[in-house]
Amino acid sequence: MFKKHRFSKASGKIKEIAGPGNVFCSEADLLLYSYDSGLDRAKPEAVVRITDRSLIAPVVKCLYENEIAYVARGSGTNLSGGCVPLKGGVVLNLSLLNKILEVDTAENFAVVEPGVCNMALQNRLAETGHFYAPDPASQRVCSIGGNVGENSGGPRCLKYGVTSNHVIRMEWVTPEGKTARWSVDDPGPDMLGLMVGSEGTLGIATKIWLKILKEPESIRTALCSFPSVEAAITAVTEIIKAGVVPRTIEAMDKITASAVEARVHAGYPANAEAVLLMEVDGSRQKTERDIKIVETICRNNSCLDWRPAATPEEREKLWEGRRGAYAAMSRLAPNVLVEDGVVPRPKLPEALKSVRDIASRYEIKVGLLFHAGDGNLHPNIIFDERNRDETRRVKKAGYEILKACVALGGSISGEHGIGVEKRVGMSWLYDSGTIELFRGVKSAFDPENLANPDKIIPVSQHTEIRQALLKPAPREWSQEAGEIVREVRERAQRSRPSVISGLRTRLKALNPDYKKEELLPLETMRSIVDLDKPNYTVTVEAGIDLPSFKKELAAEDCHLRIPDMEGTLGGILASKAWIPARDLVLGMQVLLPDGTIADLGGKVVKNVAGYDITKLMLGSWGAYGIILTVTLKLHSQAQPAGKKEAPRPASMFKPGEYHRKLKKAFDPGNLFNPWIFAGPETGVSKDL
Amino acid sequence: MTSKDFAHHTPLYPESAAACHLNRLITSLGDRNLYDAVSQCNRCGYCATVCPTHMETGRETLSGRGRNQAVRLLIEEKLKKIHEAEESIFTCLLCGACTSTCYARVPTADIMLEARRSSLKKRSSIPARIAMKLLVHHRAGLARWLKAANIFKKAGLARLAGYMGVYHALGMPGLSAAEREIAGSPLTFLHEILEKDPSLRTAASGKKAAWLYFAPCGPDYLYPEVGLSTVRLLRRFLGEGAFFRNSCCGLISYNYGDIADARILAQKNILKFEAMSAYEGTSIPVVGDCSSCVAFMKSYEQLFTDDLQWRPRARRFARSVRDILEIIPQDRISRADLSSVFGATQHSRSPIPHSAIRTPNSLKVTYHDSCRACHGQEIRIEPRNVLKKALGKNYAELNESDCCCAGAGTFAFTQRELSEKILMRKISNIAGAQADIVLAGATSCLIQLEKGLKKYYPKARVLHYSVFLDKITSADS
Repeated sequence: MFKKHRFSKASGKIKEIAGPGNVFCSEADLLLYSYDSGLDRAKPEAVVRITDRSLIAPVVKCLYENEIAYVARGSGTNLSGGCVPLKGGVVLNLSLLNKILEVDTAENFAVVEPGVCNMALQNRLAETGHFYAPDPASQRVCSIGGNVGENSGGPRCLKYGVTSNHVIRMEWVTPEGKTARWSVDDPGPDMLGLMVGSEGTLGIATKIWLKILKEPESIRTALCSFPSVEAAITAVTEIIKAGVVPRTIEAMDKITASAVEARVHAGYPANAEAVLLMEVDGSRQKTERDIKIVETICRNNSCLDWRPAATPEEREKLWEGRRGAYAAMSRLAPNVLVEDGVVPRPKLPEALKSVRDIASRYEIKVGLLFHAGDGNLHPNIIFDERNRDETRRVKKAGYEILKACVALGGSISGEHGIGVEKRVGMSWLYDSGTIELFRGVKSAFDPENLANPDKIIPVSQHTEIRQALLKPAPREWSQEAGEIVREVRERAQRSRPSVISGLRTRLKALNPDYKKEELLPLETMRSIVDLDKPNYTVTVEAGIDLPSFKKELAAEDCHLRIPDMEGTLGGILASKAWIPARDLVLGMQVLLPDGTIADLGGKVVKNVAGYDITKLMLGSWGAYGIILTVTLKLHSQAQPAGKKEAPRPASMFKPGEYHRKLKKAFDPGNLFNPWIFAGPETGVSKDL
Repeated sequence: MTSKDFAHHTPLYPESAAACHLNRLITSLGDRNLYDAVSQCNRCGYCATVCPTHMETGRETLSGRGRNQAVRLLIEEKLKKIHEAEESIFTCLLCGACTSTCYARVPTADIMLEARRSSLKKRSSIPARIAMKLLVHHRAGLARWLKAANIFKKAGLARLAGYMGVYHALGMPGLSAAEREIAGSPLTFLHEILEKDPSLRTAASGKKAAWLYFAPCGPDYLYPEVGLSTVRLLRRFLGEGAFFRNSCCGLISYNYGDIADARILAQKNILKFEAMSAYEGTSIPVVGDCSSCVAFMKSYEQLFTDDLQWRPRARRFARSVRDILEIIPQDRISRADLSSVFGATQHSRSPIPHSAIRTPNSLKVTYHDSCRACHGQEIRIEPRNVLKKALGKNYAELNESDCCCAGAGTFAFTQRELSEKILMRKISNIAGAQADIVLAGATSCLIQLEKGLKKYYPKARVLHYSVFLDKITSADS
């Protein structure tokens, strides 16, 4: 429990470390650090300004030793209460850590401190004709550290991916104040992937290495309007099917478009039901071809109006209209709640209809903006938070919208994070077994619950019971998969260990010592559970071998961009045989050693609800659980030739401290592939 | 949502003090009471990236968003005592960068001033109040006092002169040190020179005037050369005009003193304008050359929100006010021959840096956006167009040109350390542009930049836009 004046116990020591001029305790300071850009508030006991990144670890260590809760804060623009200090304690102000440490245009990476503003980085990279792909709408103010915490996206992420696809290494301070370094090519479980999007609950990034990209030679922009949302979404689906991956497909509804037009005069048509702002990029030749394909498809889908931007000024004008949407809304009322739901793209028309219904039911004013390419919708609800009744209705409507998204197979957050505002919604999306796993991950790193406490995961274990699971039940899997689940549950009861492996393609090379009867025949489960062609996703049982899986997909005109290699899909993922595969994995069902099934992620390309445990399974070598099914992103075209990377040779990882702590959360009895975590001295399987 | 719906809230000040406040603010969304105006901040945080005090300190408490929230918390009584919020309220530069970047244009500077007016921690000392009263009611008396100060200065008694100077008198002793550094110390003030000039009288030649020159206090008491240059420029580009014989615009009273005094001064100027425009025509521009004063006069309506008689008159006056930065027509400007302009002038008190005189063709000139020009009047492009046309490659953009230099009235005194940091940032940007000459359009920028350049980057000099433009276009006439 939060005790008053606990900070006083450590304040002397903290002042010594951070400098006496960097500890703020006045009433005004505390109140002004009690909010972010969301609606929730909680007052800290002190604000500590960090003036050098080397001070984060000692400050955190001191706070942890004194059992003082803390939360790191960059620009404080979170939309879900992510940096609100729920348990009081200390706010660590990192906004002065704003140095861009290195830009390497030969190797295409940049190294930044966490307080660097996204736009400051973009401006710096533009000097050499480069850019950093994630471009959240708040990029003029939000910090890279915050982007990492929330796994931020932005319009460009349809083509280029979200933050976790662009972070390649991090220096990290763990909840108890130790320093760690995570890297995308570390052997073993993808810890880096777990950390991105952990909202400050698993530690603090102190130095971040980011992938940077060369500005494309050419960008073509066009605005296109449609008589119905359905027509617009059909056009988008066809564009993607035609093999064009636009740089952005931003959309807005009639109400928003006309509100924008009234202010900006960007030439947005007032009579259309949906407006798409589309951009393709690449070589001059490619964009020329792509924009023609896009135009043809739009015209075939009864578009009302096709307006290409001929000059950079015209392009800027069209974008001004898009950016003007939030601006227009924020002038109409004191507050704008930017909701953040996500659904599989083909479900967008249904989702938008639900939003309209909910808006009229709760009598709220909503402008709809959405990233049409990836199914991420942002209803902008305007209100005055001083009007309590209206605020209550707005909050309820927000929740209803998210529930509708979940029911359509989507998620409660595409890029804003869960924080405190959407904590309750986790129970609509995840069953109690999965939420329990999230709890296990949190306490593996932070058993005292001091690092940004009480975020992401519902606080009361009973919440799950009160809130019904709304996620559509997963499709039935094969009989063979059912057999495996039964077998694992049986073994769990008798504490019998299992060898987790597919076709033993990579296991053979390691030659571990195991008994034959410990083997689980995972290669038997190999059904395609759900091939969603319009959405370009597939859910498949992980025992399928890659060559035949790719063949089956090709027959359906779908392509999985993993190079040819031997073994089961599950084995390739669990052994990290090809690292870029991490960017294709959208969801997983994981069978834990105790027989629980964790249903993680889903079939949406953007999803920041909960810890990214799917990443952790990559490189875990079966020691954390069995990948029962995996949901993957597909492409309409095979990987272009010449871009293939060779798969990595199998190499076992040496479990580190945090690997072991996580193992306790996933497999306390060390039942799965026990040799990996067996202590070298004792050899006792229980010794983690 | 109107204020009536929130009648329960306690305003920052008792009703009895309403006369000392604006009570209603004119915002880009219409008239708003203080609570509604401040509640329009939805905490998006965009302003923090452009707020000079936040850029230096990284503290929410010292950002636009933080300041607005502090006032809101005071109104909502979640922050109990005003002194608890004083750090936020009194560290504001009033530069308005936050408002420029805000979608809803929340008027942070006006909100901070309303809050300051409710604070017991009023800046004005007794001599300052006397000086301000003199400014309002007995300008000649003030002029005599300041002249005495300048005589002391000439006699080498700089420190004594500082104590008697404008800024010290107005309760800004921090700037009196800077004032001591100002090269010229006029013994004849600008208005005295202009009043003696028969060609600047209305109806002098029987012809109508094309402009009225408003002499702000800065050019009047500290930099007469600025005003004389402005008058020459106006003549050169707009034809004959007249001296407005104005009163102080009232900004000093508005920012640091009594709103009632500001109203009196505004009314004096409005009345004078009405009298003069009756003859000269209502479309005649009133041109000033200190952006702070000009911006303030453009917002005179703010002083009379509840005054049915004066509000429309203030609006009419405000519409005719122009900044010298925006009124010189770009199409009349031709490329200046810098070597003939600077090559010849070689006297010791020349404001032009020696490097520029030695090699005029490589002269680098840059432009600093005075806050009250760019944020207060949205004047950005006009002076640049003129300068680019006149200077071609000799003109260089200044990084963060619209970031405050921290001159900002009392700021340099009350927030010494912070002000110095913000100033250093400005100077290092000037150094980054490798500028020889920095142009600005407001008095406090001239003082502050002169001080900063002398200390950190003596290679460059600051000049008023008028002075420089007058010099490079003098061959045209």
